Amino acid sequence: MMVARAWQRLPREARDTLFQLGVIGWTMLPHFAHLPPWCVVMALAILGWRGRLALRGAPLPRRWIVGLVLAAAIALTLWSERTLLGRDAGVTLLVVLMALKTLELRARRDALVVFFLGFFLVLTNFLYSQSLLVALSMLVSVWGLLTALVLAHMPVGRPPLAQAGRLAAHAALLGLPLMVLLFALFPRVAPLWGVPQDASGRTGLSGSMALGGVASIANDDSIAMRVRFLGPVPAGEQLYFRGPVLSRFDGREWTRGVPSVPFAQRPQAQLQVLGSGVPYELTIEPSRLALLPMLEMTPDTPGSAPEPQGLVAVQRADAQWQTDRPLTERLRVSAVAYPEYRHGPRVEVPGLQDLLALPPGFNPRSLAWAHELRDRAENVGASAEELAALLLAHVRREEYLYTLEPGSYGRDAVDEFWFDRRLGFCEHFAAAFVVMMRAMGVPARIVTGYQGTDPVPVDGYYVVRQSHAHAWAEYWQRGKGWVRADPTAAVAPERIRTSRNLQPRPGLVAGALTTVSPALAQQMRRFWEAMNNRWNQWVLNYSRGTQFDLLKRLGFRAPEALDLVYVLLGLLCSASLAAAAWALWDRHRQDPWQRLQGRMAQALRLLGVNVSAHDPPRTRADLVRRKLGPRGATLASQLEALDRARYGRGQDGGTGRLALRRWWRGFAREARVVHDAESAARSATPRGSSGAPLGARRG
Amino acid sequence: MGLRTRMRRWWLARVPASETWTLTQRNIYILPTRAGVVFAATLVLMLLASINYQLNLGYALSFLLAGAGLVSMHLTHGTLRGLTLHLRPTPAVFAGDAAMLEVVFVNPGRARHGVALHFEGLGAHDAGSVWSDVPAQGQASAQLSIVPPQRGLHRVPVLVIETLFPFGLFRAWSLWHPAATVLAWPRPETPAPPLPQAGARADEQAARAARSDGAEFDGVRAWRRGDTLRQVLWKKAARSGELVSRDTAGHAARELALEWQAASAAGVEQRLSRLAAWVVEADRQGQPYRLSLPGRDLPAGRGEAQRRAALQALALWDAAA
Repeated sequence: MMVARAWQRLPREARDTLFQLGVIGWTMLPHFAHLPPWCVVMALAILGWRGRLALRGAPLPRRWIVGLVLAAAIALTLWSERTLLGRDAGVTLLVVLMALKTLELRARRDALVVFFLGFFLVLTNFLYSQSLLVALSMLVSVWGLLTALVLAHMPVGRPPLAQAGRLAAHAALLGLPLMVLLFALFPRVAPLWGVPQDASGRTGLSGSMALGGVASIANDDSIAMRVRFLGPVPAGEQLYFRGPVLSRFDGREWTRGVPSVPFAQRPQAQLQVLGSGVPYELTIEPSRLALLPMLEMTPDTPGSAPEPQGLVAVQRADAQWQTDRPLTERLRVSAVAYPEYRHGPRVEVPGLQDLLALPPGFNPRSLAWAHELRDRAENVGASAEELAALLLAHVRREEYLYTLEPGSYGRDAVDEFWFDRRLGFCEHFAAAFVVMMRAMGVPARIVTGYQGTDPVPVDGYYVVRQSHAHAWAEYWQRGKGWVRADPTAAVAPERIRTSRNLQPRPGLVAGALTTVSPALAQQMRRFWEAMNNRWNQWVLNYSRGTQFDLLKRLGFRAPEALDLVYVLLGLLCSASLAAAAWALWDRHRQDPWQRLQGRMAQALRLLGVNVSAHDPPRTRADLVRRKLGPRGATLASQLEALDRARYGRGQDGGTGRLALRRWWRGFAREARVVHDAESAARSATPRGSSGAPLGARRG
Repeated sequence: MGLRTRMRRWWLARVPASETWTLTQRNIYILPTRAGVVFAATLVLMLLASINYQLNLGYALSFLLAGAGLVSMHLTHGTLRGLTLHLRPTPAVFAGDAAMLEVVFVNPGRARHGVALHFEGLGAHDAGSVWSDVPAQGQASAQLSIVPPQRGLHRVPVLVIETLFPFGLFRAWSLWHPAATVLAWPRPETPAPPLPQAGARADEQAARAARSDGAEFDGVRAWRRGDTLRQVLWKKAARSGELVSRDTAGHAARELALEWQAASAAGVEQRLSRLAAWVVEADRQGQPYRLSLPGRDLPAGRGEAQRRAALQALALWDAAA
């Protein structure tokens, strides 16, 4: 109550500014999860500062102070992101810029800059997530921004926020049909330039991994792809679908360390297949990632390699299949995989040393432990395989627990995981394994991808869900090349064998609800899943294919992209024409009384009575009497009756649309009679007979 | 004179003067503002980002904003369409003082927000611009001040009515040339020499002037326009039901003659200024006066009507006539 009253008492300027700050803060909120901490603190501090200035009505800080803060922000971005380009650095800068711009809200132009930056900030949120929840919260943001924009253009008085909000919603709702039309029919085209490697992280296979990243997609039960085996079905523990291979570690995050060599000149994967092949077919849902998660190992040989339609697929040196642009359509490829293979160099080559690198100053206890293990007398001269076996045995022996909610880890995540908490899922196990192997001098790397499928096939298709995302390890053994090691299997073998996917424990609220009313909880979950499914199907996966299906339903036999443009233009043109027609009609639409006055004046003028446009019927009656004498008596009394009906006190029938029409019919008939009489009288003059019959005009 | 100025003049000359101005599709202009252009560029940028990152929600956002922007064009136009403007009579002022033009907006339709009114040549956000909201089916008025630099009858300059509502992406405006004038009296000279004394010695006149509204009771006559309230005999009026004024001998007999020749100032305008100052002073003292200018004589009288008539005569006096 107190707050509401204080809000009411605020001067308008302060209220509007606080509202804007609130909207901006709300728009930034989803970003706080992945922004560097300094940026979050800085943005909040600046917004708070601006709010305080607004509350006190204090002057804004000087330009050079703002410039100084901006310089500091750029320096901090360079320090934390190591670049100013790319998605993360760009968003970091945008958030700081947005907050700083609020300190410069001097003129109306500055306010408009804030709004446009705000719309862009809304868009950047979709780079990270396009879930229903984010969409709804951003809808609120857009509404808020439009409301603030409307407020800025209501300079009079102190318009209530609710009124501005209503006006903004009104404009947006009126624009909704256009939005739906454009969304449905605007041709979906391939990216215009480059391949954004940091495109949306809807799947876990985004090309980087920070501890905790996979857990966030474990909640995502949507289908990643479907696989059909054309021959024998391999065992569950052999179903590794290879995604990005991560070999660079900066202490916080694992990334692909391969230097960016032009696409065509990349070295070939040294792949040698053994045994018999497993022919299979993959139907990949649009992942918006430029890769094909092929079954290990699918070699780049004719007959085995995938040949996706409309894309160029190349196998990288680390044996992952890459495409020249992100997958925006559902894609079907056939290939042959060989569960038995040799991969990588047999002897040491120069590049291998890179895969021993560990960031200095991170995880000291783990490094010490690994050195101690390797230097033990019984392990001197042990091969990489033996060392890996030691590690896996350790994981199995000690009480490591496989869980999807290990909590968040700090700076020395591997130390914490290996010695203190011992809770984690595939990422933690794989990362710890690779760090230990590298510390013992064995080249090792992390492989991300999918592992396993739903146990029961549907129509012969095994479903791979986003929750099957997995991370495992590879180490290099002289004479053999790269060998796969999955430390998660050592702890939770059922995760691998039965392909039990990552399933989170229900949250606190959901848990409480389940105990109170299991039926309701289930119903709500089903409703939520259905909503999400529809969201995915209708909004997120709306693609060129869907557009063509729509056109087919509209009667196009073989739709093309151009047809979409034609349909869109046709609809827009007809809508514009309809609007123009309406405007024309609206312009000529006249009050029935006014129209009658006009017609009447025209009829009287033909009889030689010049009346002006604004004369009331009474004056016209006088004029008629004076000009036409007794012949015009009827007309005059008709006019007087009309005057009484219009201006008199409530008798004589009134002047409704129908009454006016009836009156006009009588008047026109009389005028015709008078006119004919006049013509007869003046039959000598030819002009007199040429008068058009008045009543023939539309009545 | 640049081409632009000439074009503007030509355009302004096309605006016909009218008593009232109804805003319709024919006389409302609309163009995107700079902010509108920037908004469009932002949308294109957002669309490019959506294409490159294949963001379906990005498409949706861009199209939502595009739809709202397009609708805002119609809303901006609709904010003006249907309004009728007319000007209340503008009271005359001395040259150099601000005359208040009162423009009344009549709104037969929905409520309108953020309608600005200003003189042509100014911006909507300049100091001289007045913003108003017009309630649905109602009226609102806006007052603009105009300062006539010299005496005479001035035409009201072309007015601009404009709006940026709701989003500021489009500016709709209309030009109105009101068929109205502002009368500017000559500015009274300050300090002005004392009033010329007609037919009596100056000190006697001064003494009479000090008694002002006549303490001597000379008689009673019927109330005439221009008699001050103090001259009215209220008791008598209450009894008889008719207004009667006391008739002071001085007022009846000794009227001031404000003459062109007496105002011996340097130029024509200075003379008129001096005469204006005398008219104001004589009116303040409540003395009857007559005014004679070459070619224009105003018979003696006093009161507000006389003052207005005298000042108007001074304002409109033309040496050539």
